[in-house]
Amino acid sequence: MVDFIRRDKNDIYSKKILGFLFKNQKFLFIFRVIVAGLFFYAIFLGFYEPSKENTFTTALFWSIFWPLFMVVTLPTFGRIFCGICPHGFLGKYITRIGLKKKMPKWMQNRNIGILLLVIGWWGVYYVFPGIYRTPLGTALLFTVMTLLAFGLYFLYRDMSYCKYICPIGTLTRAYAKLSFTWLGTYQSACSECRTFECATACPYNLKPFTFDKRNSMTDCTLCMECSHACEAISFKIKKPSFSLFSRFQIEKAEVWAYLLILASIPIAMAFHHGIGRSNAAGEMIWSKTAGIFQSLFGPGGDWVGLFAFLYAMLFTILAGTIGMYLASKILKRPFKEVFYSLGYSYAPLFILSSLGHALSSFFTGGYERIVEGFAWAFGFSVNVEPLARRGDDWLMIFSAFKWIGIAWALLLLYKRMKLIKAEKLRKILAFPFAASLIIFFLGVNMYRNHIIDTYGRASGGHGHMHRSGKMFQTVPPKKATILQTGPRRESCAVCGMKLAMFYKTNHAAESDGKVRQYCSLHCLAADKTINKRSLSELKVVDTASLKFINADQAFYVVGSRKKGTMSRVSKYAFAKREDAERFRRQFGGKIVDFDTALKIAERDFEKNSFVAKPEDTLFFTTRNPAAKTRGGMGMRHGGMHRSGRQNAVPSASLWLAGKSPARPKCVRNVEGVFYLLNADGRRGKPRISKKNGCTKVSFAVPKSGYYPLYYVRSNQGLVNIAKYEYKRIDHSGEEVFTKAVVAPKTLKEIPIDLQRLKDHEDSFYSRLHSGEKVRFRVLKDGRPLEKARVTLQTQFGWQKTVRTDKNGIAEFQLINDYDPEWKKFNKRFREKYLVVATYDKGTQRYKISYSGFYLPARERYQSYAYALLIFLGLSVVIGVGVFAYRYRVQKPFREVSFDE
Amino acid sequence: MNKIRDAINRIDLRKFRFWIQLFFFVLFVYGAYFSIDLGRELPIFSCGYNRETGGTCYFLALQHQLARPWDRLFSTASIGVLTGFLTFLAWFIIFNKAWCGYACPLGTLQDWITSFRKMLKIPYGTYSQSQYKVLKKIKYIFLFIVIVFPLLLGIGLLDGEWRGAFCKMCPGRLITPLFSGDVSQWTIDFSTNTAIFLTTFGLGFTVLFFVGSFIKKRFFCFFCPMSAMHYIFSDWALFKLRKDGEKCTKCGDCYNVCDMQIKDIADDVTSKNILRDDCIFCMKCVAACPEEDALHVDILNMKVFTSTKGGFAKRMEIDSFKKEESDEK
Repeated sequence: MVDFIRRDKNDIYSKKILGFLFKNQKFLFIFRVIVAGLFFYAIFLGFYEPSKENTFTTALFWSIFWPLFMVVTLPTFGRIFCGICPHGFLGKYITRIGLKKKMPKWMQNRNIGILLLVIGWWGVYYVFPGIYRTPLGTALLFTVMTLLAFGLYFLYRDMSYCKYICPIGTLTRAYAKLSFTWLGTYQSACSECRTFECATACPYNLKPFTFDKRNSMTDCTLCMECSHACEAISFKIKKPSFSLFSRFQIEKAEVWAYLLILASIPIAMAFHHGIGRSNAAGEMIWSKTAGIFQSLFGPGGDWVGLFAFLYAMLFTILAGTIGMYLASKILKRPFKEVFYSLGYSYAPLFILSSLGHALSSFFTGGYERIVEGFAWAFGFSVNVEPLARRGDDWLMIFSAFKWIGIAWALLLLYKRMKLIKAEKLRKILAFPFAASLIIFFLGVNMYRNHIIDTYGRASGGHGHMHRSGKMFQTVPPKKATILQTGPRRESCAVCGMKLAMFYKTNHAAESDGKVRQYCSLHCLAADKTINKRSLSELKVVDTASLKFINADQAFYVVGSRKKGTMSRVSKYAFAKREDAERFRRQFGGKIVDFDTALKIAERDFEKNSFVAKPEDTLFFTTRNPAAKTRGGMGMRHGGMHRSGRQNAVPSASLWLAGKSPARPKCVRNVEGVFYLLNADGRRGKPRISKKNGCTKVSFAVPKSGYYPLYYVRSNQGLVNIAKYEYKRIDHSGEEVFTKAVVAPKTLKEIPIDLQRLKDHEDSFYSRLHSGEKVRFRVLKDGRPLEKARVTLQTQFGWQKTVRTDKNGIAEFQLINDYDPEWKKFNKRFREKYLVVATYDKGTQRYKISYSGFYLPARERYQSYAYALLIFLGLSVVIGVGVFAYRYRVQKPFREVSFDE
Repeated sequence: MNKIRDAINRIDLRKFRFWIQLFFFVLFVYGAYFSIDLGRELPIFSCGYNRETGGTCYFLALQHQLARPWDRLFSTASIGVLTGFLTFLAWFIIFNKAWCGYACPLGTLQDWITSFRKMLKIPYGTYSQSQYKVLKKIKYIFLFIVIVFPLLLGIGLLDGEWRGAFCKMCPGRLITPLFSGDVSQWTIDFSTNTAIFLTTFGLGFTVLFFVGSFIKKRFFCFFCPMSAMHYIFSDWALFKLRKDGEKCTKCGDCYNVCDMQIKDIADDVTSKNILRDDCIFCMKCVAACPEEDALHVDILNMKVFTSTKGGFAKRMEIDSFKKEESDEK
């Protein structure tokens, strides 16, 4: 025994705060008592209050202990979860008074614990989801586990329960190998030791003084008993997973723990919860197998979950073993040696991907659940908001953990491959095969992302609408009445959303002898007022009975607190007045009849769109005027969209709009013709689509350059044209700018054309800035037009009218009327302008509009003078400084001499 | 064959380097006049803000590519990022860090400033070893800014003003365009606080570049994140700077000529690969080494330029000394 030791720098015990946390006997005891208290209190509450009211029991076990504390501490500090586990803490005392028998050989099998976890917990979890999620289920589970643990502690010595039977015993032992902490000893002291206090103190009957030599901490649970017995015990910070870089005694069960837990958590979750929640879920093999079994045996538990789990298991084991088998053949070593030695490289896969998931769910919901659970259990009231919303951009940072895990696994594989005795070339060849499970894991992740990107989430495109659970409107598909026929009968006739998902707001109507069913009154109104479809036999779902009733007789509760479908103002219909009254009392709103409700629904469109008269000035915008929010990421691509595939031709979208350039509104009526010119001068094909009263024009933009788009309406005595020149820039820099890019183009169908002359543009990136001169040319049937009236109007209302000269040219200076206070100034502000040229020839009138934008001039926010001043100033200061320094250094040392 | 080898080993490295550097300087600063464009993945500070550049520094493209939203960055749409990186790697592994010592326009400019100082007969400065250890770490901070800041931008933790933050801070953005008569980068951007900070930092760094490289040889290269980036991949490069420790007498000639003050070149007699993160692969050490084969430059394990007694004697003009001596006699 040693009383004093000079500790190394990286020893946690030499640190003040950390040393206290990990070593102080009293603190650890109190801490363990608190944890055990919480543990038993939560079990007690689970029986006492089994209803949903009890948020504490589930929060403690499923929000703190398992996903958060365990997953966060295992790859960092190691098995400290075991160190504070109430079972182990109390088990130590129970064993002391127990029978101290030796555990029988058949029970000394770590696979018992692993199988308990994988089948008893995860298998059950997938077949009967939610069984452990209730407070009662949780309490029952932990009561059984506690009784079993205490019984075994009483019977057998050396805490054998922790080593072999505890479902997470082997798991924590295996994953703690990644941690950056290491319990070892100071060899200088141990080499002279003959008393071995550390080994006697260890309740697990381990020999801490051998840990360093064995390069394995074996079953150590960091209970720190040994460190109280002898000072020579160290608890050091080392390189993460350093012990896996060299040899140690291999424990086969650990490799199986890595493999089976990887299968039952991340992979089965990716199958069941990732891909299973996409629209392609039904096509997957586990869904199909489940379908067969369900038709044979009827609905029991969750067949899909069961088979997702079983297939995950099968694929994972196959991917691991087949790859390793091939690798062992290449390496010419026995399979068992290769598999169990290289299998340790699987360690980071599960734990890091779970770490990312646990952290992000802590921020989105876990934090709220934990605080609320504790508040309920201890009778104080708090109101907490989640720290983040699902879908927040910064949460993406947690998805990086998965990739770190994969990289780490590959590094471990490389390091462990070095330990195998084989030729270098064989090792290189065997590497990809040995990495088969890692590649499989990577593939499953990429496949899940691919499926969700391609097929979308099954909940429809409204990912943010409901944070958890179902929406109020949703009913199970079986309960929804579908009046429509045809292949798309389960989707809204207008927007295509799943009808069952929004069933409580469903409407239906007859048109041309066919029934059309809508997700909401909003879509019905769109069909009626915008698509101008004549509808009869209007029906609506009664929110109370879920049956279709005649809309005229329904009572609508409008503007209640329950969220609506497709509209900010919710509308729910009831057959009986008293149902509607009860709903209104509960959730607010007011009761109206169908016609009023329809009018309110039509207001959704009026806000964003209008019916244009023939003489109205129209123009195009690069973003949907009806869209609610402004673009998020700071960089706008001017409406350009590139589908996920590489090499796909990008397309641009423009919206036809009117009213003012500052506040455009969608044009509901399209009565003219669209013309498009491609950058190469050929004609393009614009696609027109209408949604919610807005007209979208989409077209492919394969090359960099200008794409003039025209919208031509001809009425008696008036030709009214809207023009937009879409510019595409390919940022790859592969295309060469030539003068042909900016050469003016026109079409023979356009009787009057307005061209912006781009003589000064010398690259694809040229933009207009305030203060610059901009020249427009008016063409009539391809010839310059003199004396046409041209008006330029800026977003902030400044306008100027000139007449074209004999070359058909009108010149403007773009004025500087964007002048916010300094803090709000945005140098990328796109000030919109609208140029309108009109020309009368007899009674015939020609009108063309051209819209665009310009940026603030660089001189408005950049200063040469200051730059020069700072440059000169700094140069002088630094120059003089250097000179002074050198002068001082160079000055010879003068001896002080006394004149005697 | 031996004659050719001998001729190479006796080369006047100073002249050779001057002409190569001049060639690359013209190529990378004025390349566009000859309609040369070597792409945007070059492993040197050949700044893309210079409109006449013959090829662009990889950091400009890299920072823009990494700043994509993460869901797009980690999708197949970003294969271009990967191919860009592989192109960079392909450029780099050909010449290893010789890009710094021979091709980088900013490096060349520093060498010219050094020659100018020599003409004025002002002595150069050096760092003490403790200063040196601290200063050489700064380049990794800049590398962090180059790689991690755009990633933070991609998840919205930094605002758009930080787009290409390192370029705003880099003296190359201000200096290189000057050679094509473009002073438009010499401004302070007052539009936001971030912009003020970044442009002022860039200007201050430019001042340091001029003053520093006037006094200290290759002053800027100590802070160059490209040099740090090079070092990560330098093991894979075709060019290798190797040392035979047994033949080394630790005379220190190599250390004395080293612009980057790398002490290992003279001190380390154990490692074979003597390339360090600060090295610019100027090969002055090989030329200055008086021991036969102690230092050599290899391509794929084939010695192309080695230190020889003969070469050393020629460069030191020992023969002419002897001649003079004998003449005096």
